[in-house]
Amino acid sequence: MSEPQAPPEFEPGPVASRPDSTRTGPGRLLIAVYALFALAASARAGVQIATKFSHAPVAYSLSAFAGVVYILATVTLAVGTPAARRIAVISCSVELAGVLVVGTWSVADPATFPDATVWSGYGSGYGFVPLILPVFGLLWLRRWRREPR
Amino acid sequence: MSRVNGAVPTTIIVAGLALAGYALVMTARNRRMDVPLLTAVGVVEILLLVEVGIVVARLAGGERPAGLATLIGYLIAMPFVPLAAAVWGLMERSRWGPAVIAVAGLVAAVLMVRLHQIWPVIHV
Repeated sequence: MSEPQAPPEFEPGPVASRPDSTRTGPGRLLIAVYALFALAASARAGVQIATKFSHAPVAYSLSAFAGVVYILATVTLAVGTPAARRIAVISCSVELAGVLVVGTWSVADPATFPDATVWSGYGSGYGFVPLILPVFGLLWLRRWRREPR
Repeated sequence: MSRVNGAVPTTIIVAGLALAGYALVMTARNRRMDVPLLTAVGVVEILLLVEVGIVVARLAGGERPAGLATLIGYLIAMPFVPLAAAVWGLMERSRWGPAVIAVAGLVAAVLMVRLHQIWPVIHV
């Protein structure tokens, strides 16, 4: 611990990024995970729709929708302006509603989901990260509503 | 979880989990990104490139998995995971930089398991 380069977390100074935006601090981690899911969900949906759409049209359409929501949340959290934050709140809310509705739907009616989506089984195929991610997203955005700058 | 044979994927799983553990300790101890952590990211990056090379060599040899499109997607995306995490983490001058690296380490390990599920012949 003798290295001089381990100052407190939010030390002011000539550093590249102070926690003055939704993309810094814990937001850095949040956006990294969102970007990962944006890529995973949209790439998966792209392959599924291009190669075997008729096999499970509902599941694949929902995968594509989830991909779009993740991309929107990633971008708006990274931009971080007040307008972008409002869109991010909507994205995270839609995402939370989506994982709850699709999760319940996939458990109640497995026939509609012969192939999984990111939101099937409340995101169980992805370590339930799809379920907790929007919760952390909304908590992080709520903090920024109270402290605009 | 599928059993993953092969020296390189196994090494990547171990290295990825070790990287994630090390980075999480740095986050817990309130440390920023540093050279040793970047070096560890570089090691995982090289291992992933080796794995991509091995899979591409098998494809070039005429073998095909059932989910070829998915496999190619993985091959393209895999090398960018540590790179993107390093860039994004370096932009952060707080403990949350290493936290991003921890995600990349976990993802590298999960990618190997998924790769094996897509194409079980990848035993190396």
